Amino acid sequence: MRLELGSFPVTDIVFGARTRWQDSVLEIDARALLEEMRSDPRITRAELELARPGESVRIWPVRDAVEPRIKVEGPGVAYPGICGRAIDTVGQGRTHRLAGMSVVEVSEVLPHDAGGDYNSIFYDMSGPWAEMIPMSKLLNLCLLVEADPALTIIDQNDAVHRATLKLADRLAATTVGLEPPQREVFELGPVDPALPKVVYIPCLHSAQAMSGNGSNGFFCTTATYGLSMLTPPWPMHPNEILDGAITGPYRIATSWHLANNRILLELYRRHGVDLNFAGVIAVRTEWTTMEEKELMCLQTAKVAQMLGAQGAIVAWDAGGNEFLEVVHTVRACQRAGIKTVLLTSEDDPTGGAPTLLEPLPEADAVVSTFIGGSGYPGGSGPASSQMLPAMARVIGSPTRLVGAVRDEVIDVAGPMPPPRYNDTYGFGRYSGVEY
Amino acid sequence: MAKALRVVHYVNHFFGQKGGEAAAGLPPEVREGPVGPGLALEKALEGRGRVVATVVCGDDHFSENLDQVGQQIMALIKPYAPDLVVAGPAYGSGRYGMACGKVCELAQRELRVPAITGMNEENPGADLFRREALIVSTGETARTMAQDLGRMVRLAEKLVEGQELGEPAQEGYIPHGLRKNRLAEWSASRRAVDMLLAKIGGRSFQTELPLPKFEPVAAPAAIGDVSRARIALITDGGLVPKGNPDRLESRGATKWLGYSISGRDRLTPQEYESVHTGFDTTLVNQDPNRLVPLDAARELEQEGEIGKLHEEILTTTGVWTSLANARKFGREMAEKLKLEHIEGVILTST
Repeated sequence: MRLELGSFPVTDIVFGARTRWQDSVLEIDARALLEEMRSDPRITRAELELARPGESVRIWPVRDAVEPRIKVEGPGVAYPGICGRAIDTVGQGRTHRLAGMSVVEVSEVLPHDAGGDYNSIFYDMSGPWAEMIPMSKLLNLCLLVEADPALTIIDQNDAVHRATLKLADRLAATTVGLEPPQREVFELGPVDPALPKVVYIPCLHSAQAMSGNGSNGFFCTTATYGLSMLTPPWPMHPNEILDGAITGPYRIATSWHLANNRILLELYRRHGVDLNFAGVIAVRTEWTTMEEKELMCLQTAKVAQMLGAQGAIVAWDAGGNEFLEVVHTVRACQRAGIKTVLLTSEDDPTGGAPTLLEPLPEADAVVSTFIGGSGYPGGSGPASSQMLPAMARVIGSPTRLVGAVRDEVIDVAGPMPPPRYNDTYGFGRYSGVEY
Repeated sequence: MAKALRVVHYVNHFFGQKGGEAAAGLPPEVREGPVGPGLALEKALEGRGRVVATVVCGDDHFSENLDQVGQQIMALIKPYAPDLVVAGPAYGSGRYGMACGKVCELAQRELRVPAITGMNEENPGADLFRREALIVSTGETARTMAQDLGRMVRLAEKLVEGQELGEPAQEGYIPHGLRKNRLAEWSASRRAVDMLLAKIGGRSFQTELPLPKFEPVAAPAAIGDVSRARIALITDGGLVPKGNPDRLESRGATKWLGYSISGRDRLTPQEYESVHTGFDTTLVNQDPNRLVPLDAARELEQEGEIGKLHEEILTTTGVWTSLANARKFGREMAEKLKLEHIEGVILTST
């Protein structure tokens, strides 16, 4: 499977009379594009605003961020399956991307039917929170989009995410027929057989636990070819992921993070250098019973063995319950003779509390990405008890409901604690250390 | 440093030149100026501080009554208004290590004075006091006293100046067992691949998170006769009376609540709901007995299968809850239920 990724850098976005990419500038005909978004009768609001790196801007609430990508050669579409898109297997041919920007889905639509759910993710374009997240280094074209609240939560999700993808498609389409200024070829070609075979095991939260009812499995949270339901371990070629085969938001992890997955790129760029990248096994988490969880872990280790893995990196998109699949996968791999590294964030250490839910002894090689939790004050970088500075401008809702039952109104532009931070895909340099 | 530090030194009977084992039962006393290793301590201070007083106490006397003797020693130290308290170093001596740990803990907490000690990592005092006390890691014997006091002084000066300490291995202290964030040299993804290749290649690597230890939880003895037992229902599934009048958090709970079920045979969706944000609450909100099985429990009570159902449901939200809070809730609930002579609990989670 050979994929050529052509990057079209975007150094500026301007609103104009047409939509085109030229000399690293993306010109956007907002009126025509928004008309298209609004042609879906479920959409009640669609507006565009631009946020640039370094600006005193807060974007809230962020539901997802999508890097515009389009397939110009080879089967399928970028971001397949989700919101009714084609499900052809992707990962071959040529894909174009607009680099250095994202389409940010700014919406009040809640992702789940879970009780008391709320959207807590936001981006600052400057200040300490901006320094922590890769999204704040991008030109963020914000689509402020809402759906008819009379619709089911599934339909609302579909409507707003479909609009976001439609916009990303239109923008990516400006590169069709153009020669990409930068190209990178991704192919798992034959390498020195002495190099160790390594697999990447991303553990993905399934929306099923939080939105089981009425969902047909195609739900707009992190989805594999559109499926977000609990599925057995799913072997994938890394090229599929570069084409957006795993996409859709889950808390702080967005479609942009998934398509630009740093762990995957690190392994890919070292393929043939000091390792042999044998593939990806996507694992779904938050099964109900311990037996189901253990079964998935054992099956994951089996698939890794079938891929000939000598080593594995296990990472996850963070939570509590889900950690059982994660750490038991580490154990299953280790017991199958596969050397395993766990990349994880840490829980709240207040009061000297252990920061890992279940410390199985097989998890003897851990990369810690951040110590989080509610109200944890320690260390470098903003923790949730430290206030972020006020911002001059808000993109999205000017006020936000906070407090135990979210009945206190606060000004979004004002000082605010940061959302819970996870570095699922290994972008940042943070690490938890003992002292 | 502009002003010379006023240092109070704590030593045991042996280093305080009171004698051998026979002196181990001596109560605390204070002496002006340095005693024994205090001379080496003053030398290590290189004129930037002086030992204004030395407290000496027998190891047996102290270790047999840590809290009380500790308070007496604080009373002896306080009049000297020190800028720094140095204890030991205690090396491999267990009783001395406990004493030094206690002195440091209390000096910081009660006198608000920076304190430092030194001992071997295997010293039981290290295990007991490393959370609170700054303990320089030493060998097992006093052969290296001069160097060890030098390391203690250098670290203590950082402490007094309020400087942030570096990592334990680099600064030479025994980790407190706490965690904090720092910026590493490389991204997490690169560190993960590097660590993996080292592990596969059999090369040395250092995990960034040594596995934490949990307190073992012993299973309680079985209830002899459930048909005579008082049983309570507890949930961490966020069950609240409709409208959440006491404002239980949807996630990151900071409290637990108790609600009377007196006179009720079941929980109705008109009266109860779940505010838990970690699962799809649709089915629970249709029938809250699916979360807290009051209906089934009442039947068992009527059939005599269980003695008596406790007339209060205890509830909290178990999602994004810090372990510190979870432990606190558990202890408080258990204490309350014990007072009410509850023998068994049915805890339904989500």
